[in-house]
Amino acid sequence: MSHSILSALSEDLLVRVYGFLDPPCRKTWRLVSREFHRVDSLSRTSIRILRVEFLPALLFKHPNLSSLDLSVCPKLDDDVVLRIALDGAVSTSRLKSLNLSRATAVRARGLETLARLCRALERVDVSHCWAFGDREAAALSVAAGIRELKMDKCLSLSDVGLARIVVGCSKLNKISLKWCMEISDLGIDLLCKKCKDLKSLDVSYLKITNDSVRSIALLPKLEVLEMVSCPLIDDAGLQYLENGSPSLKEIDVTRCDRVSSSSLISIVKGHPDLQHLKASHCISEISLSFLHNIKALKHLKTLWIDGARVSDSSLLTLSASCRALTELGVSRCVGVTDIGMMGLARNCSNLKALNLACCGFVTDAAISAVAQSCLNLESLQLESCHLITEKGLQSLGCYSKRLQELDLTDCDGVNDRGLEYISKCSNLLRLKLGLCANISDKGIFHIGSKCSKLLELDLYRCAGFGDDGLAAISRGCKSLNRLILSYCGELTDTGAEKIRQLEHLTHLELRGIKNITGTGLAAIARGCKKLAYLDLKQCENIDDSGFWALAYFSRNLRQINLCNCSVSDTALCMLMSNLSRVQDVDLVHLNRVTVEGFEFALRACCNRLKKLKLLAPLRFLLSSELLEVLHARGCRIRWD
Amino acid sequence: MEPEDDLCQNNWGGSSSSSSSKRREQDLVHLMVARNGQLQGRQEQLVAQQQLITTDLTSIIIQLISTAGSLLPSVKHHNMSTAPGPFTGSALFPYPREANNLASQTLNNNNNNTCEFDLPKPIVVEEEHEMKDEDDVEEGENLLPGSYEILQLEKEEILAPHTHFCTICGKGFKRDANLRMHMRGHGDEYKTPAALAKPNKEAVPGSEPMLIKRYSCPFPGCKRNKDHKKFQPLKTILCVKNHYKRTHCDKSFTCSRCHTKKFSVIADLKTHEKHCGKNKWLCSCGTTFSRKDKLFGHIALFQGHTPAIPLEETKPSAPRGSSACENSNNNNTGMVGFNLGSATNAIEEVAQPGFMDGKIRFEDSFSPLSFDTCNFGGFHEFPRPMFDDSESSFQMLISSACGFSPRNGGESVSNTSL
Repeated sequence: MSHSILSALSEDLLVRVYGFLDPPCRKTWRLVSREFHRVDSLSRTSIRILRVEFLPALLFKHPNLSSLDLSVCPKLDDDVVLRIALDGAVSTSRLKSLNLSRATAVRARGLETLARLCRALERVDVSHCWAFGDREAAALSVAAGIRELKMDKCLSLSDVGLARIVVGCSKLNKISLKWCMEISDLGIDLLCKKCKDLKSLDVSYLKITNDSVRSIALLPKLEVLEMVSCPLIDDAGLQYLENGSPSLKEIDVTRCDRVSSSSLISIVKGHPDLQHLKASHCISEISLSFLHNIKALKHLKTLWIDGARVSDSSLLTLSASCRALTELGVSRCVGVTDIGMMGLARNCSNLKALNLACCGFVTDAAISAVAQSCLNLESLQLESCHLITEKGLQSLGCYSKRLQELDLTDCDGVNDRGLEYISKCSNLLRLKLGLCANISDKGIFHIGSKCSKLLELDLYRCAGFGDDGLAAISRGCKSLNRLILSYCGELTDTGAEKIRQLEHLTHLELRGIKNITGTGLAAIARGCKKLAYLDLKQCENIDDSGFWALAYFSRNLRQINLCNCSVSDTALCMLMSNLSRVQDVDLVHLNRVTVEGFEFALRACCNRLKKLKLLAPLRFLLSSELLEVLHARGCRIRWD
Repeated sequence: MEPEDDLCQNNWGGSSSSSSSKRREQDLVHLMVARNGQLQGRQEQLVAQQQLITTDLTSIIIQLISTAGSLLPSVKHHNMSTAPGPFTGSALFPYPREANNLASQTLNNNNNNTCEFDLPKPIVVEEEHEMKDEDDVEEGENLLPGSYEILQLEKEEILAPHTHFCTICGKGFKRDANLRMHMRGHGDEYKTPAALAKPNKEAVPGSEPMLIKRYSCPFPGCKRNKDHKKFQPLKTILCVKNHYKRTHCDKSFTCSRCHTKKFSVIADLKTHEKHCGKNKWLCSCGTTFSRKDKLFGHIALFQGHTPAIPLEETKPSAPRGSSACENSNNNNTGMVGFNLGSATNAIEEVAQPGFMDGKIRFEDSFSPLSFDTCNFGGFHEFPRPMFDDSESSFQMLISSACGFSPRNGGESVSNTSL
């Protein structure tokens, strides 16, 4: 018997072998035999649920899960949670990490049940739940073991809710409060008083004042502090950090308008071990005293000074002293020229990421120097560097073998020859060529034939590129999952027919492509089964046949933009009712859809929608019941 | 020191000066004067005493300096915040009186061997606590003993609703002015300016300045009673009344809003009622605060205390549709067709008698369930080979698009189906 050799393997051996597999291979593994399947079920530790219907069964099947991701699961609400809780067979006691991002319909009752159910819970993500408020926070605080908590954009959360969490989960060592606009100094102060173990804190975009910084400075173990765009914090506040938070390793004060270099100097003085300093768009000039103090940071790895005036000499001084630098952001810096960049390249050979976006004076010489010296370079952003030509790209292709990310958006000098050189960077994962007017199918062909690892390709408004190029991409870049083709006017149904070969595609933007019709969309829908995001805005020539196919095949579609499409009442209803995972829909300027059509379509999907964009007049035309149900289910409506 | 006790004992009026620091200074002066006036024969003793005094004084001076020093940063800070500008070194004590007060306070504390001044005591800042006796905080009045006259009203007098009675008809009044107004009705003789004028006024132009009047509380053992060792007099009759009611009477006025707070002075109740129920910041321990920062300060102080979320918010003014969503019954909008594994159709589930009460609610509120149950004429469901999870509400295939009539509103459809 052929299976005998497999059955000879003992279970612990199988488990060990299974441990070496990549996630895609595990899927195949499951299908080998009953025994293999069992090993998979028992060994699996993390899972991402796509459909709520299967949640109880999956939880039952995988008893050893430690991480559960429910962020893309539609129709998840309190009742589902309660049913799981009532189902005794499901074991959740080992669950450590829970992702409830965008689960807007899970409210206090469900959260409390979950918190009680998962006793070992350590990491929770409730970001982007706009309905997450104080009551929900109080429910979550039952899980006293939480160490990491992400609450970005919990718009209803106030100081009271934060206080509940702070008191309930005193072991917190990482918390993100980005965009929790209701949080004030009082909440931050209490957080800092109660959670002394805090290592990472994100207070970006909050309306907090210097008082908060004073409280934060008292945290003894704080290592990472992110305070992007805190408009009320000024130098006097940052001064508190000079002698506070002794173990600070990383600070981000990007776009803090009232912060100047004097307070950064004081932070640097107080923390000679600082590794990451991110101060984009907050200091206007790199002063001598700033440079002098930066020099003392021997362990500095990341420096973002985007938007500041940087002279060549200061870049030279900087690079001469901070040789450990691996990441430098000097985008939009006035004064960055080849001389400075060449000096930098010579000194900082460990550089891995370099952002030169909008540095208009940088030429091929600088790029060549960087490519030749910094052999570890992984990410290079050259957006709007108009002086860069194929010569610079040639050296990139020759030397930067580790390059993974390259942004050439809006670089006029990039042509087909340049793309040919770039294609030698065979490890490229993300390539952005938006607004490059001088590239054609020939150049894209090189990319498609050599960059087989490519995951993301942006060809926004590349007017010179058409179906043949797309065919090459579809043939070569099989693992592509994000493709942006918006406003590539040359593309037709023939090209769309090629896209269907990209099986792993999850994100596709086809905005404004007039030549794609229903046939093309049908082909895409048939081929790209994993498609989760689709932008069809202003694709005016797609008729209902395309939408029907989409409704039938694209079961994983989560977000769709249908603005200005000529979709009919029936097709819209079909889409909305059959796309059982759809959560985010833009339905603006649909000329062929009547009010009844909208009403019908929305009623069909109202229990899974989380975000919706509609024309403002519809607010008074749709039934109030529908709007109430949408609201109660946690759906946000943007009236355009 | 013995002489102090003597001084204190022989005149109770001596302790009447409320600030004991003054007393202490007086004592020192007395002591020194007395010692100086002594006979030469007790020279050695005098030297010893003087040494004692000098050490005492030195320690006082040191204390004073250190207090001033500790005060300086805060004063400076205050100064900066109020009027930005360079802090001039010449103004060592921008607030000399304050500094002196503090110094005397430390001196005082030194005397009592307590150190209350420096220690930040964990004080629970309760917002709506007992109304403070305003007359208790009476400070800085350093009247010499015997420089004022002490009056003591009896309990009945204090509690009497009226204190001014008409000699003709016997009607009572709270205020003398009202009585005088009333008297005008009894004849023209009461209408003269002299009769209407304030009785006190006429005494003022007299040759001898009037002795200041102070009041004593009739309650024995009370600090405001003149027999108390550390007697502190009350300034006015009103003070006496309020003090007596607040301290020695039952609290008979209950707040009509919270039904918990009680007061014996009706004015206190009115003050409380103004704030009662407004912006209630409630702690899990039951303490309430009118200000959020006070609540947060409280929470920061105590382990395990959390802000309580007011109960009335438990049921937010939910729209009609959401009531179906939030109720925990098996069938509601959220759970439409959500059958765990089983392939039973939603309509069958509804038809079961056990779910009837859930269904009744559905008929009046909107529910997509009704869509599930209806068959849209020409529409048919897509054949679903892979996931037939029966959650496909409203799934249809356009076999003949003509069958679709958008005029069919949700309501009419649901009516036909039910």
